[in-house]
Amino acid sequence: MHIRVENLGQMAGKKEILQGIDLEFAPGAVNVILGPNGAGKSTLLRLLGLLDKPGQGEIYYDGQRLSAMSRSVRTSLRRRSGFVFQSPLLLAGTVAANLRFGPRLRGLSVSDHEIRKVLEKTGLSGRESQEARLLSGGEKQRLQLARVMLLDPDLYLLDEPTVNLDPLSVKNIETAIARLAREGKTVILATHNLIQARLLAGKIVFLKEGLLVQVGAAADVLSRPLSLDIAEFSAAENIIPGTLALREGRTVLDCGQLAIEVVSERTGGRAAAVIRPEDILVSEKPIASSARNSFRGPVLAVADLGAVMALSVDCGGILFTVFVTRISCTQMNLAPGIDVSLTFKATSVHLLPLE
Amino acid sequence: MSYMLEGLKQGAALLLPPGREILQIVALSLAVSGAATLLASLAAIPASLFLALKEFRGKRLLVGLVNTAMSVPAVLIGLLVYGLVNRRGPLGILGLLFTPGAMVLAQALLAFPLITALALAALKGIARDACDLALSLGANRRQLAAAVIRQGRFAFLTAIIAGFSRVIGETGMTLMVGGNIKGQTRVLTTAISLETMKGNFEIGIALGIVLLFAALAVNVALQGLQGK
Repeated sequence: MHIRVENLGQMAGKKEILQGIDLEFAPGAVNVILGPNGAGKSTLLRLLGLLDKPGQGEIYYDGQRLSAMSRSVRTSLRRRSGFVFQSPLLLAGTVAANLRFGPRLRGLSVSDHEIRKVLEKTGLSGRESQEARLLSGGEKQRLQLARVMLLDPDLYLLDEPTVNLDPLSVKNIETAIARLAREGKTVILATHNLIQARLLAGKIVFLKEGLLVQVGAAADVLSRPLSLDIAEFSAAENIIPGTLALREGRTVLDCGQLAIEVVSERTGGRAAAVIRPEDILVSEKPIASSARNSFRGPVLAVADLGAVMALSVDCGGILFTVFVTRISCTQMNLAPGIDVSLTFKATSVHLLPLE
Repeated sequence: MSYMLEGLKQGAALLLPPGREILQIVALSLAVSGAATLLASLAAIPASLFLALKEFRGKRLLVGLVNTAMSVPAVLIGLLVYGLVNRRGPLGILGLLFTPGAMVLAQALLAFPLITALALAALKGIARDACDLALSLGANRRQLAAAVIRQGRFAFLTAIIAGFSRVIGETGMTLMVGGNIKGQTRVLTTAISLETMKGNFEIGIALGIVLLFAALAVNVALQGLQGK
């Protein structure tokens, strides 16, 4: 299903919780709505799922205008979409009863085989006759997803489906979501989990305080954020403020004791450098490289993130966060107090203007 | 103290077995209060659903009114119903005054705001979720109403029990519009009040025991339903 949103707005009392949103959602890739709490993510999803009436604006579903739809058209549209709520909404009754509710509303019956299959897909095999409200948090979320998947809708609206879940449940749900998008469903996922966004997103919509801040392909939004808000939210690791200056024919960002070479048309004014940790090379000795930026300083802390180790390195009073693999960490004997060199290209530095 | 114990003993003796007149009073009490509760519920449940789910201008005022109506003294409702059904009143032509009909009407009016307000308070937590759940899974209007009522059935039962308990124990208003006519409009509360004032303390106690058990039995029955 193709969805277009035009000047969408919503009020809660006198407070605007969503305003002037223009967006498009297409099938095939996961659309991630990213933003801090209170950004309006849930509000947007509820409007898209026809659970609330928009205060303002228009939504087009495959070109059809929402405001021109009759009640029965809206009902049939809801029957083509599935909603997974942030806090699971389940009926009192068994897992199977919860799964059968949606088909029953459509006058359909489902076979035990279909139920078994969808439970398998969501990692809930054998739970048919268990009381749904006695499931664990992760199982409840997966049951919500199973309930929706059984209906095989064209549109999936997922409101933070993995919040507060154990890592295994998160993995299960993420795999299922990725598969749905690949199968050609329109998937819209609201989250404030950046790692999840990086992992799943084809397109990212960044909301803040009810406003659309940036929209685009995931890689673009994450590596070239348009505002400090997104940078802080999405690449919180290395955001370094400074003043742009021209030195010996090169543009640098003067950050006090460090001058970071950057690529910029502006050669003056305040700006912040955003450098993703994965773009910084860590070595024991300074390395000969075409990369212009090379700094040296002691490791302050080493954090084990599981897949990688995160180092905090102090270069001239500025704290850099960088990632190294576990193996390199051991090989280089990295520990607090050891001096290392950090190297990165001028083109890896994304500049944000500061007012 | 011994006076009260003596009364209790004689009262209990009156009930073993209960006389025809007592049975008749019990039956009428249950019938009148049951009918009144049913009538009030038929209006109060849709009203509470409407107030819980709809957003409209003046909703807060209306909810405030319902909550205030809960504390209107019964005797004022008695006054109102008396005014309506007496021969010169707008409903006088129906000849309802001093009949069980007038008692049902008055008790229903008394129970309506109570059931509405209690159901509304209990629905607040569940109606929105039930609505979201059913809507998102594709319920049409009728299915939506059915789903919300089903999810809210405990809330409704609790409110209905409270409404019934309120009206079966009401005396002054019921006396005003019913008249406590022997064999016709005499119910447990009015009979207790009359017999006690006549000095028949033991009869008052006997009827009091019956009232207590009647109220208890209905509560147990309704709560049994709730357990399901």
